[in-house]
Amino acid sequence: MGKPLVVRGLQKSYSDVKVVDGLDLEVDQGEIFGLLGHNGAGKTTSIECILGVRKHDAGSVELLGMNPVAERKRLFERVGVQFQQTNYHDKIRVSEICEVTESLYKAPADWRELLKSFGLSGMEKRTVSELSGGERQRLSVMLALIPKPEFVFLDELTTGLDSKARRNVWKYLERLKSGGLTVFLTSHYMDEVEALCDRISILKKGQIVITGTVEELISQSPHDNLEEAYLWYSGEEENE
Amino acid sequence: MKAFNALFKNELKLSLRDMNIPVFGVAFPIIVAVIIGLVSGNKPAFEGANYSFIDQSFGAFAAIGICATGLMGMPLLVADYRHKKILKRYMVTPVSPALLLFVQFLINLIMTVISLVLIFVICSVFWDYRMTGNPGWFLLSYLLVILSIYSIGMMLASVAPDMKTANLLCTLIYFPMLFFSGATIPYEIMPKGAQMAMDVLPLTQGIKLLKGTSLGLPIDNLIISIIILVSISLVCTILSIRFFRWE
Repeated sequence: MGKPLVVRGLQKSYSDVKVVDGLDLEVDQGEIFGLLGHNGAGKTTSIECILGVRKHDAGSVELLGMNPVAERKRLFERVGVQFQQTNYHDKIRVSEICEVTESLYKAPADWRELLKSFGLSGMEKRTVSELSGGERQRLSVMLALIPKPEFVFLDELTTGLDSKARRNVWKYLERLKSGGLTVFLTSHYMDEVEALCDRISILKKGQIVITGTVEELISQSPHDNLEEAYLWYSGEEENE
Repeated sequence: MKAFNALFKNELKLSLRDMNIPVFGVAFPIIVAVIIGLVSGNKPAFEGANYSFIDQSFGAFAAIGICATGLMGMPLLVADYRHKKILKRYMVTPVSPALLLFVQFLINLIMTVISLVLIFVICSVFWDYRMTGNPGWFLLSYLLVILSIYSIGMMLASVAPDMKTANLLCTLIYFPMLFFSGATIPYEIMPKGAQMAMDVLPLTQGIKLLKGTSLGLPIDNLIISIIILVSISLVCTILSIRFFRWE
């Protein structure tokens, strides 16, 4: 079988601004892949184009061997997605959003178990709007895992979580990974990237400047830690 | 089927929790019926008519609920779900947009029918309402009016680029339809010139049909109304599917 995600020459512009400019990337089976970059570097647009939520101008995307637009229904039976900002129905309860999400898939995971794993059990009857920011974030990651996906997209998976909750999410993802799950994530936390990612790509103005393991990225930069190396690659230092 | 059941149950609960549709789609038409009933009682519709004012208005009461759910409730909810990116979240699941829209259609339909049944009971008990026409024909016309008005609503929801426009479009269409189609202000009391202007509104045709079938008037006078409503249903349904957007 081929690689679960192959992106070739992906391009997307808004009016005249090129947000994604010839993106090429491949994700291997069972790895955790991180797409890094500043706000506005094109991470979210890249993910949305890959998923077919947004039409790309040029290039091709093959996810689990499928075209995300043409084979949407079949594909998203096997792919989970957590968007960066998730909104829910007014006044919907945690149990209700879980039940609805579960009902959309042929062979879903047990959402009560997932709630427990994400420290949300006992909150079934609460409305989503009553949850704290961190709880809501954990809920949106957890919902992306309800389909028992082979491939999951997590856009800023732990933004707003405290350290303990973040570590729990990492541990859970590691466990799913050992069961064969492939993960595509974005994050602004370098400790998270170091702890989780097998390979990363750094995006700058819609183009990938480097791809490799954490060690490779650090060793090819003049710095000795990921945070500094990241800033160096993504061009933050020019501003200083 | 599993998805339909869960979505239906959930959306029904949410609509009851939100109370918009129960108030405007169910209670409001009943209030109008009660007011007209109190004002006109079971007086004849006009000098020498063999049916009462209430008999004549029943078709119009039926249309108010259709209008409120179809032109406000449903399109605004869909626009809101799109605005909140709830539809975007559904887009990355295996669910089909047709199923999502069908669930909304069904919930609004149920609310409208509840309103109709209550109005029927109230008018029968207090103002001796009797449907002189064939109930089968009345229900068929009722369904046709629902299809045409709901398809207009769905088209508005699909076409409106944002929440503000959706609100504006729905208001622009809902209120004229409500007041100038004979739904609230009876068509019969309007001057001839105004009646001709009112005839342009699809709901006026719908109400003519509902009145005609509920009163048992000859169907040949209603053919034009039927043709107009069927065409609207077809065109607007096609447009709403063609222009449906998740985001």
